[in-house]
Amino acid sequence: MANVTFPFPFPEHLIALLPEMVVAVMAMFLLLFDLFIPKERKVLTAWLATATAIVAGVASLQVMGAGTMVAFYGMFVLDPFAVFSKVLICAGTALGIILSIDYMKDEANVGEYYVLMLFAMLGMMLMVSANNFITMYLGLELMALSVYVLVGYQRDTLRSSEAALKYFILGSLSSGMLLYGVTFLYGVSGSFDFKLIGDALADGGGSARAATLLGLVFVVAGLAFKVSMAPFHMWTPDAYEGAPTPITAFMSVAPKVAGFVIFIRILVDALPAVQQEAEMILIWMAVLTMAIGNLAAIAQRNIKRMLAYSTIGHVGFVMLGLIAGTSEGYAGILVYLSIYLFMTMGAFAIIILMRREGIQGELLDDFAGLSRARPGYALAMGLLLFSLAGIPFLGGFWAKYAVFIAAVQAGHVYLVLYALLFSAVGAFYYIRVVKYIYFDEARVAFNFNDSAVMQATVVVMTLVIVMLGLYPDPLMGLCASAVAGLI
Amino acid sequence: MDLHNVLDFPILSLSIFLPSLGALFIWLFVRGDDAVRWSALAVSVATFLVTLPLALQFDTTTAHMQFEEFHRWIPAFNINYQLGVDGISMPFILLTSLLTVICIISAWECIRTRVKEYMLAFLVLETTLIGVFSALDAVLFYFFWEAMLIPMYLIIGVWGGKNRVYATIKFFLYTLAGSVLMLVALLAMYFKAGHTFSMLDFMDYPFDFTWQFWIWIAFFIAFAVKVPMWPVHTWLPDAHTEAPTAGSVILAGILLKMGAYGFLRFSLPMLPDASQYFVPFVVALSLIAIIYISLVAMMQQDMKRLIAYSSIAHMGFVTLGTFMFTQPAVEGAIIGMISHGFVAAALFLCVGVMYDRLHTREIADYGGVVNVMPVFAAVMMVFCMANVALPGASAFIGEIMVLIGTFDASSVAQAQLGMVSSKWIAIGAATSVVLSACYTLWMYKRVIMGDLTKDTVKGMPDMNMREFGYFVPLIMLVVWLGLYPLPVLDVMHESVAHLIAQATTSKLDAAAALAQHMPVQQLAVH
Repeated sequence: MANVTFPFPFPEHLIALLPEMVVAVMAMFLLLFDLFIPKERKVLTAWLATATAIVAGVASLQVMGAGTMVAFYGMFVLDPFAVFSKVLICAGTALGIILSIDYMKDEANVGEYYVLMLFAMLGMMLMVSANNFITMYLGLELMALSVYVLVGYQRDTLRSSEAALKYFILGSLSSGMLLYGVTFLYGVSGSFDFKLIGDALADGGGSARAATLLGLVFVVAGLAFKVSMAPFHMWTPDAYEGAPTPITAFMSVAPKVAGFVIFIRILVDALPAVQQEAEMILIWMAVLTMAIGNLAAIAQRNIKRMLAYSTIGHVGFVMLGLIAGTSEGYAGILVYLSIYLFMTMGAFAIIILMRREGIQGELLDDFAGLSRARPGYALAMGLLLFSLAGIPFLGGFWAKYAVFIAAVQAGHVYLVLYALLFSAVGAFYYIRVVKYIYFDEARVAFNFNDSAVMQATVVVMTLVIVMLGLYPDPLMGLCASAVAGLI
Repeated sequence: MDLHNVLDFPILSLSIFLPSLGALFIWLFVRGDDAVRWSALAVSVATFLVTLPLALQFDTTTAHMQFEEFHRWIPAFNINYQLGVDGISMPFILLTSLLTVICIISAWECIRTRVKEYMLAFLVLETTLIGVFSALDAVLFYFFWEAMLIPMYLIIGVWGGKNRVYATIKFFLYTLAGSVLMLVALLAMYFKAGHTFSMLDFMDYPFDFTWQFWIWIAFFIAFAVKVPMWPVHTWLPDAHTEAPTAGSVILAGILLKMGAYGFLRFSLPMLPDASQYFVPFVVALSLIAIIYISLVAMMQQDMKRLIAYSSIAHMGFVTLGTFMFTQPAVEGAIIGMISHGFVAAALFLCVGVMYDRLHTREIADYGGVVNVMPVFAAVMMVFCMANVALPGASAFIGEIMVLIGTFDASSVAQAQLGMVSSKWIAIGAATSVVLSACYTLWMYKRVIMGDLTKDTVKGMPDMNMREFGYFVPLIMLVVWLGLYPLPVLDVMHESVAHLIAQATTSKLDAAAALAQHMPVQQLAVH
């Protein structure tokens, strides 16, 4: 049990939930507190929200202390795997909030925006600790509902509202599919608990095999929606393009972490009996996801849309870790997602900066000539893009390496070959952006005013990516120990 | 681990990282174009001086790796920072550090925009190139091999000619697509050979034939794109034509050698049986490169394109020699590469000198240059003759050794060639001597000789001291290597002998024995 002591009697179960409680209390406090803050000082809310995210991340690390905790009769689990993902989610949220400060300055009611981000984070933290379909669904919906609102936060603009509506309708449908699948599994096993379902289905479902497989299919489909695997990716480009840019950054990182983590938990704990079928479904979905993501990105002129498809492509690569189905594969997924977080946040920070007097700054053309006007940002964006393309000495190379080697070890050589060919295709649209930045002349002046916070974010993200590229060993070690107890 | 390093000093690491550290310093602290030029030159000269002890302290009596370094890098995957050079790789490191100095001098006046970025790109490029030639860990090799794309992409794309964007994206994607196959092969070899990425372990591990076959193909695609071999050569003329002069120099001088070096370092010693099996295939492609590409070169209107095609033809000689498995042929191939590094680099510099004055590369725009630039005409004459492989020039040594080695090909190579005697192949390859004379001298005649008819040409001033300065060492090296190649041959002799022993010793018996006695975990391929 944890080595945390309290001056008053404290229910043991709640200790495991302490980080989540901090977030929940702070989020509700901020909702009230924000009312008393004048509009020009809303930045205070943002910084308090950032602090909350950071405290939650640190608290997750602290609370776990010596070992794994299971609370509420198996509903909630706090193991190294959950803690690692929580730290990632908190980091993603904190960065998302930081990126929002300048972007959302002129919006009305900006306080609730940060509170919603905290609630989304709370949902994801619950999700990655879920050991039970009910807890999982609770977290999932808390996250999803918050993010729907965040996507449509610029409600005066048509595309933001449209994006939110599309996302909401498709997202609800996917939640429905997920629940439908869960009912099958409940019907077969009589439980919502991952481990108990796994035990009950140890014989592959026995006479109820058809129902088990239906459950698998619907659960996979529902989760595939959340992490935008093809063919359930349709909402992604519209939602990414329409959402406020910091939310796009946030969405392309944190929910993906939560989605993949819960995916792994369900596959490992609840559905090991139908692993072969799951693998088959995932292989074909990965084949489709990589192709759609990387090919469709080539056709995009809007960088947010392009990165939406690029996210789909990256999800396809991450899926190789799921398909491998080994602890190396799952560790690879964590490596990938960690590195992806930094690359994406850095890239979006620069995209946010590109919004300058009168232009949205989202078209590839808007990047033309950046290297002359702002060589520092140009270098950072160039490095981040090469990293996204998976070129070494940058972190993105090791992200791909970690999942690919796991997939090769599991025997999926052809799939890795396919993935590598698509990563070469994918390199095209990343280096095309570099072309705009470095080879073209500026058409619009670069008179944007960047705050110190944004500068620092860009610098830190780029440095992290370069450092991880040169010395990825510590991260790989952390990820390996995070998945150690999983299988 | 027993490290073989006479200097007891990480000299290879210093050579690799000095350019990058210098680049970092310049980026942060040096302001002003001239200061950047001088400091970049200082860094590159310092790097060249640092690499000199590699040659001076080189032990020519052993094929063992020298100046070795070993540090654990990513223990989770047993990836190590393992460096070392032998007689095959050491000359390329010196070639790299020398050509980088020349590249930086050659860019002195013609690069006027974004001087700082240009110099930084070249210094970073030098790091990756020296890294490729000194890596003994396959992932480290791949790391440098791919990282090279970033500076090269920018060099062609930012400072290139009119069609630079097309050329540089084509270059990038071709090379990347080629090398991803190598990565898959390396990952598969890692598990097969027992969780190691050490290139020396790969050389020792007995892969069975099926493995060798597929891995060889994967490697071949990566290396053939880089060499480049027909029919995957089409990126090269574009990249060369559009690249700035120094970009072409480094491309022809070093980058093309990386592919051939890959054959020598990976394919031959690690996969001897597959390498033998594919001899007819490689020989056919090499002959096509030599004969067909020479004919293509003859038809070019653009000087840089012509030299680019000439490079492909010369690299055909290199691949031919590599796959003959005889001492003279392989040594000839390596000498040929070094020589081509000087000659092609110098020819691109010659074109650069003219381009700086007239801003055109079309042969038809010149004529009678000798009347206004006599010194330049003489210098270019030397390198044209060297390109033709005139006796006395370095290229002659390379070509004659390859021809001798091919004429008298090893029994393993001849066995694969079957009815076609290697003598006929040597005769076919020898046509290159005529063909290269045709296209090189014809170009020389049209550009340099003749009467001064064009007003633009009349105004061309002769070379200045700076320009003359970077040709001097190249002329000296070409002639020295042509007259007295023994020191270079001595350096590579033991290593090449060792390589040929590896390449002609079948691994199949050992593989069969291993499969029988130790049915280790096999990598199931779904």
